[in-house]
Amino acid sequence: MSFTSLTFLVFLGVLVVLYYLVPRKFQWALLLLASYAFYLWGGGKTVVYLLITTCSTYLAGRLLGGLNRRLKALPAEERKAKKPSFDRRKKQVVLAACLLNFGLLYILKYWSFTAEVVNNASGFHLPAPDLLMPLGVSFFTFQSIGYVIDCYRGKYAPQEHLGRYALFVSFFPQIIQGPIARYDQLGPQLLGEHQLDWDQLKYGIQLCMWGYFKKLVIAERIGVMVNAVFADVWGYSGSMMAAAVLGYSIQLYCDFSGGIDITRGVGQMLGIDMAENFRRPLFALSLTEYWRRWHITLGGWMRDYVFYPIALSSGFRKLGSFARKHFGGVMGKIFATSMATFVVYFVIGIWHGANFRYIAYGFYNGGLITAGLLLEPTFVKLRERIPIRWDGKGWHLFQMARTSLIVFVGRYMTRAPRLITALAMIRATVTDFQLQSFTDGTLLSFGLTAFDYWVVALGMVVVTAVEWYQEKGGHVRKWMEGRGALAQWAMVMVPLLVIVLLGAVGQGYVAAEFIYAQF
Amino acid sequence: MEELLQLLTETCPGIDFAGSEALIDDEILDSLDIVTIVSAIMDTYGVTISVDDLVPENFNSVAAMLDLIQRLQA
Amino acid sequence: MQSKKWVFMFLGCLLSLPLLLMAANFIVDPFAVFGNMTWYSFSETLNPRVAKTTYLKEHGSEYDSYLVGCSSTSSYPVDALNEYLDASFYNTISYGVDMKDAEETVGWLLDNCTVRNIVLNVYVDNGVTYDTGQDQLTLKLHGEVSGENPVSFYGGYLLADPNYILDKLKDKAADTELSQTFDVFDEETGAYDKRARDVENIGDLERYYEAYPVFTDYPVYPARMGEIENTMKSVAAIRDMCEAADVDLYVVCAPVYGEYLNTFTDEDLTAFYTALAEVTDYWDFTYSSVSWEPRYFYDATHFRNAVGDMALAKMFGDDSIYIPEDFGAYVTAENVADHVRTLTNRTGGLEDSGYTCEVPVLMYHHIAEEGDGGVTISADCFEEQIAALHEAGYTAVSLDDLYAYVEEGRDLPEKPILITFDDGYESNYQIAFPILEEYGMEAVIFTIGVSVGKDTYKDTGVAITPHFSYEEAREMAESGVISIQSHTYDMHQSAQLDAAPARTSAVPLEGESEEDYMAAFLTDMEQSMAEIRAGVGEPVTALAYPNGDYTTLSQALCAKLGLKATFTTEARTNVLIKGLPQCLYGLGRYNVEEISGAALLELLRG
Repeated sequence: MSFTSLTFLVFLGVLVVLYYLVPRKFQWALLLLASYAFYLWGGGKTVVYLLITTCSTYLAGRLLGGLNRRLKALPAEERKAKKPSFDRRKKQVVLAACLLNFGLLYILKYWSFTAEVVNNASGFHLPAPDLLMPLGVSFFTFQSIGYVIDCYRGKYAPQEHLGRYALFVSFFPQIIQGPIARYDQLGPQLLGEHQLDWDQLKYGIQLCMWGYFKKLVIAERIGVMVNAVFADVWGYSGSMMAAAVLGYSIQLYCDFSGGIDITRGVGQMLGIDMAENFRRPLFALSLTEYWRRWHITLGGWMRDYVFYPIALSSGFRKLGSFARKHFGGVMGKIFATSMATFVVYFVIGIWHGANFRYIAYGFYNGGLITAGLLLEPTFVKLRERIPIRWDGKGWHLFQMARTSLIVFVGRYMTRAPRLITALAMIRATVTDFQLQSFTDGTLLSFGLTAFDYWVVALGMVVVTAVEWYQEKGGHVRKWMEGRGALAQWAMVMVPLLVIVLLGAVGQGYVAAEFIYAQF
Repeated sequence: MEELLQLLTETCPGIDFAGSEALIDDEILDSLDIVTIVSAIMDTYGVTISVDDLVPENFNSVAAMLDLIQRLQA
Repeated sequence: MQSKKWVFMFLGCLLSLPLLLMAANFIVDPFAVFGNMTWYSFSETLNPRVAKTTYLKEHGSEYDSYLVGCSSTSSYPVDALNEYLDASFYNTISYGVDMKDAEETVGWLLDNCTVRNIVLNVYVDNGVTYDTGQDQLTLKLHGEVSGENPVSFYGGYLLADPNYILDKLKDKAADTELSQTFDVFDEETGAYDKRARDVENIGDLERYYEAYPVFTDYPVYPARMGEIENTMKSVAAIRDMCEAADVDLYVVCAPVYGEYLNTFTDEDLTAFYTALAEVTDYWDFTYSSVSWEPRYFYDATHFRNAVGDMALAKMFGDDSIYIPEDFGAYVTAENVADHVRTLTNRTGGLEDSGYTCEVPVLMYHHIAEEGDGGVTISADCFEEQIAALHEAGYTAVSLDDLYAYVEEGRDLPEKPILITFDDGYESNYQIAFPILEEYGMEAVIFTIGVSVGKDTYKDTGVAITPHFSYEEAREMAESGVISIQSHTYDMHQSAQLDAAPARTSAVPLEGESEEDYMAAFLTDMEQSMAEIRAGVGEPVTALAYPNGDYTTLSQALCAKLGLKATFTTEARTNVLIKGLPQCLYGLGRYNVEEISGAALLELLRG
């Protein structure tokens, strides 16, 4: 069930009404029921994977919780003596959970790639069955492994009730594309009792509308052009490739962040506050900051469960002292952490999918950020020597543009069908940039009219303006509350009409021109 | 306290450690700074800070960090 | 505003959207379901089945006979049918009609309209598809025809995508005289509006292939006829309904492009046409020499209106127009076995068997004692050129010869050539006429109405090359050597001597509205035709475009005026095709300057 289908809206409407009608202690059960209905609707049989992950991590959580409890219950002396053996068993449990779930993820998502690479390189014939990808498998796997590790760390007591835990893993608004939630943040809200709060309901509806606007009006529209160009990449000049990648950047942001807005909006309508996943990445001043604003929950997950353990591992600490001894200075100080950073971005790259271009994407981000870290002392010295205002608006604008450009170049790698194509496209963008292809009608041959481009451009102006206002600390929805009744009515009706007329309709529509194209 | 403050300032120059009570929550420190600081503390004070200790409450202020060190030393 | 109130307001707005949509669909009515803001040509393009039903509910009384069938049905011209059967035909053609649709349509017609004749077009495709049960808004039948529940039928159109509303409003603003992609139907006849396609110049094959590449690389996707039985049941049902209602039924099988027939197996073709003969007698035009000539087809699956004229002439015994000998057969249960053999024994292609002819056209202007190196040539040179043509065996033919060739198929002499003069200079009468007479060469002179008999420019008193008078024109015409035709009345103005904006040729002025242009063109041409007719005693059947400039619209207007040939200044040899009168539209001409007779012959050899 896609967020943009009419079925989903009906489903949501019915759910919200029921949610506030049933006795509050059953609200969580209703959510569980709805979540599984939602998953079955779109995922069908692949629900099996969801169940495997749910049960295995539930079990791991309970085992870890039991070990923690037993260890704590021991007298202090004994506790110290038994700690190593307890730790070992805890590690075994975590390892088993990770192996099972990441193994499953690996087989589903990366096996065919491995088989292809191995087969090509060696002449083996590893079978590569075409497996049905479960919806949101990466998201729910990461989310539940995070839960297991938190239990291991004793951050919180595990959920004892399988059904309640199952709701945490399968909560329908977030299961397809996140945000990747933490149990201590989301769990209590899912399981708590919620009284109808009209404010929250209103805010939720508004956030959903904003998401639908970004998704339907902007992302789906520009996606037509992006697909057309990428379907026949070499049929166009480098400038058109750049335009398509720019279009893709817009599409990706509006689709992803719009989807998250709908997710969070739905959550809010149910009285559940979900983690933010985007914080206006356009305004990032550096690539590091960009990654702190883009897909925040993935970054957070990587920080807590990949970066910290690696950076604080004994191996890396040894690497750190080695570097301090031999490189000295700042370089020596941060060498080890830089390497850990690199690993994280490499993993993030692979997280996106099984392909060399994602590996390259990981290298690209990790390489640039690591290089930035290592060169920071040099930059500091340079900045001291050049007498301009390093905190002025102009410099910030430049930084924003620079960051956007770096991200833009990275997008070639995430959208092109192959790494080689991506690199060749980047090359063509520089060597074959034909300005006239923007005016000679090529843009109109992708299935979009001039009107469509205007819609996308104006849509992006609205998005940017709103984000700028938020960046300045403004609250759009609060601001709207203060307007008059007529204005508030208009602020409902106009967006609704825009979403419906420019976004939702048109799926069953066949323009007469197309009917007769052949005659 | 003074000793720790000096160490922190050396490790991450340009950050106002003394003047903030929400170094993590306000995103004054990022994960890289944390790791650098943790490494420095471990080297200087001879304690072992594990990943489990890496929660905002332990790093939001110099006092909190000192508290953590003392707890680990005990 | 309190949040609670806001939420209810939101729900109100949300629910008002469908109501708004319904209101807009009702008022603008893009599919012509409700009979509001009617623009049938547009609505029929969206869905001919529904819009034509609505149209007939309103205009049914104007017709007494109907054509029924899929899109190739469009090409049987209603005018010809009306004449042959003294009836008033409407073409219900809809794209992709199968026999179930046809049966339901005939049923509805018999119940709701006065019907004297039904012409049922059966296409080979009808063996492949039956009752495709289309329920899209653009393909479904009108509820009254299919018997669909009215709530679901009208409800579907009330909730139709608003893009259709926007399209209708937008396209209305962009509407033009000739059809565009959004209004392909002719409201009155119900057929496709082919005014533009029927005046495009058709000449040699190479040029045709360039314009319609589908014929060079014809895609063949094998298909099986799994629906013969159902289709024939429906034909039988139509037959019985017509019989019961005492309506004359004519069943016709449309001409099919040769390569398209390869889509089907011989067994299927045999079964299809045999089964049809068991149900009813029919006229079969499916396969003949016409099938191998792409120029007889608009595209891969639709034959031209001119071919439809031939088919109807064959059916109704009209021998005044050209019909290829092997075109059309009346098939009955008795002769069907022999008949299908012509289909299954068909050859792979066809030699050009004498139904085309190359005709070069020469274009002269003024003739003087001395040539000016441009379009004015010397008398001696002219005589030398005519003598050379004569020597080389060229026969200068008349316009009537060309008409007889394309319309009736009457052959032209060996090496035909058409000699023309533009503007109507006195020198044509003084110098060219006697020379032509001497050599027995016929010619056409295109006169500018305002200049006839003048040696000054209109009312300006500015001297111009003298033009011959109507007395002189009449003398030439009566000699049988010269035909006087139109070069417009006053659409060849001088940019220097006329008030701006001068109409220097017969195409729209800059910024001129279509309506104004059409009025100007028609008025001018009607005056030209009337004056020549009065002054010379000869009907005007041809126009040479001033400067050779023309547009599709001007061509269509000429067709409306009944002209049979139009001339441009494009330098190419024309290929005339029997049975395809539009090959006389946009004829190319060679401009002849001061060159030797030998050089002229060289030019003609290409």
